[in-house]
Amino acid sequence: MQTTVVGNYPKIPNRPRPARLRNAINKRDRGELTDAELAQVKDEVTVEAIAEQIEAGIDVITDGQLRWDDDQTYVARNFKGIEIGALQRYLDTNTYFREPEVTGAISFVGPTLAPDWEFAQKNSTKPIKAIVPGPYTLAALSLDKHYNNREKLALAYAGALRQEVDALVAAGCKHIQVNDPVIVFNKEDYAFFHAAIVKLLDGVSGAETGVYTWFSDCAGILPQMQDLPADVIGLDFAAGPANWDALEAVSFTKRLGLGVVDGRNTRLETAADVAEAIKRASALVPSERLYVNPSCGLEYVPRETASEKLKVLAQGARQAEGVPA
Amino acid sequence: MATQTKTKSATKSGSSLPLTTTAVGSYAKPDYLTKARSEFAQGKIDRADLDKLEKKATEYWIRVQEKVGLDVLVHGEMERGDMVAYFSGEEGGNPIKGMKIGGLVRSYGNRYYHKPIIFDKLEYPGPMTVDMWRYAQGLTDRPVKGMLTGAYTMVEWSFDEAYPTRRDAVLDMARIIRREVEELVKAGCHYIQIDEPAIHTRPEADFQLAIEAMHATVDGINAEFHTHICYGPVEKVYTEMIKLPVKQIHLAFKNTDFAYLDLIREFGYPEDKDLGVGVTDIHTRFIEDVEDVKDGLRRTLKLLPAERLWILPDCGLKTRTVEESEAKLKVMVDAVHAIRKEIGAE
Repeated sequence: MQTTVVGNYPKIPNRPRPARLRNAINKRDRGELTDAELAQVKDEVTVEAIAEQIEAGIDVITDGQLRWDDDQTYVARNFKGIEIGALQRYLDTNTYFREPEVTGAISFVGPTLAPDWEFAQKNSTKPIKAIVPGPYTLAALSLDKHYNNREKLALAYAGALRQEVDALVAAGCKHIQVNDPVIVFNKEDYAFFHAAIVKLLDGVSGAETGVYTWFSDCAGILPQMQDLPADVIGLDFAAGPANWDALEAVSFTKRLGLGVVDGRNTRLETAADVAEAIKRASALVPSERLYVNPSCGLEYVPRETASEKLKVLAQGARQAEGVPA
Repeated sequence: MATQTKTKSATKSGSSLPLTTTAVGSYAKPDYLTKARSEFAQGKIDRADLDKLEKKATEYWIRVQEKVGLDVLVHGEMERGDMVAYFSGEEGGNPIKGMKIGGLVRSYGNRYYHKPIIFDKLEYPGPMTVDMWRYAQGLTDRPVKGMLTGAYTMVEWSFDEAYPTRRDAVLDMARIIRREVEELVKAGCHYIQIDEPAIHTRPEADFQLAIEAMHATVDGINAEFHTHICYGPVEKVYTEMIKLPVKQIHLAFKNTDFAYLDLIREFGYPEDKDLGVGVTDIHTRFIEDVEDVKDGLRRTLKLLPAERLWILPDCGLKTRTVEESEAKLKVMVDAVHAIRKEIGAE
């Protein structure tokens, strides 16, 4: 069993710690800081986020995605064929993202994720997992003015993202995770969601690959997900308790990303809650095939809560393993 | 019920005017107030000093609205930072017991806000908005609306650490907001606006809960209730939304170039309700042309009679400057007078 995170980490701490990234962006916007100086601050706060995740006791971490404005535009904005559009509410959250506008054929120009991963891994004693935005979710949350067909758009995104994945593998990245949550709300699109993931991950070797979902359950599609060319399937058990039944009903052959700590609420779980959930999952998936993680990215809660939640998660995992905390 | 009078007017007990003009809620805080709020937060000035400046700014906005010629006024929310946080522990407010302000959470880009936390069972803390309403109403002969945030939005935009389900939290919150409604009514307030901008967050899953919460907040209370619902997928909730137990629903018509008219045409609008029509976009500095606003009014009048229409900006004006806000209100009022003349109502 290992502990991990699902993606993003809150970008700024609360007082008395300084909100360095927020202040630096404001200064750059006022012309008091150059882009190069802002990039330097982004590097520094990324190193801090890495250190906090390690200190909390997490085994496989991310760079916190502090450079990302949102999951939809960080990578896609560098593709040919994409423009950045209006603010949209992200699913049922009170968080907003810029809508990618597809104005032409999508193509990869150069890697966005591999350089970030190399920087993060250089500054981490733990393995850094790279997060790749899911092609289906990108297609579902884009304004499509070119393909006029969600399936074609998802496959076009998958083709361009595949080059991000290949660049990550070439750089030496050992953990690659595709965050593709929106499929849980549009299960009728499963067939081409699956095809897009195949296009994105099939044949990737040398790295462990995963597909994560959140905010609801995978009931009804979990059996087909066993055939995805991915090693890990991530499920949200906080917002999608029906995932328990779905898990019980399927012959689960992958590693399971067990999303048990609620990434959307400040209510703090206990280590015992986490250990209990691990015990329950272990009856269905052997514990050596478990990743224990929050239910989603942690940016929905304040930084200090995120750090506390990760500590509880790590303690719960140790408790479940019978290791004295 | 409002008594029939010969001269059509908006009184403190009801409006018989064609195209009653009003505003949605907030206005920009003058610089001296923004500075004072930050000094108060740092402990440099006391509550009485801040109170004086909040009242000064409130009077300013009351006079602006009188000068422009609105029929029903808002107090401008000079004492509030955020429509949920004000009731949850924001500096200067009287917070609902069981709520506090949490750490910073990112909204988008480089924008962050302090998201409130429900940490314990909610209890009514005594009047939260009554003093300011009474002060504002005391400044003017025109009616001033009482302004509250609805139970669904209060819970949706907070973390909940205390209740087993969202439903439990929302319905208990409705009990608290109802207490404040009762206090406003006791103070003599007739028009009470209960804003629910989060109402369409989960259109399929729990829109009924939002309706149930509004019933729990207003049923059996003798006042005229309005609600403001802005942006978001109104089309997904329209047929349910119009069942909200309020006298008036107002929507941001201008922002969608009056596309909501199609919904009214297709699904109707309840006979017993007034419609609030947002006619100026609050997100742009650009001041609409009077002709443009008149055009929107004419289009709306094809579907509903003037007596059932209230005219207002799309949303609160707090993101616009004093000058922009005044100009946007003036364009709106000028257009209303022109249309009233056109239909022989003035």
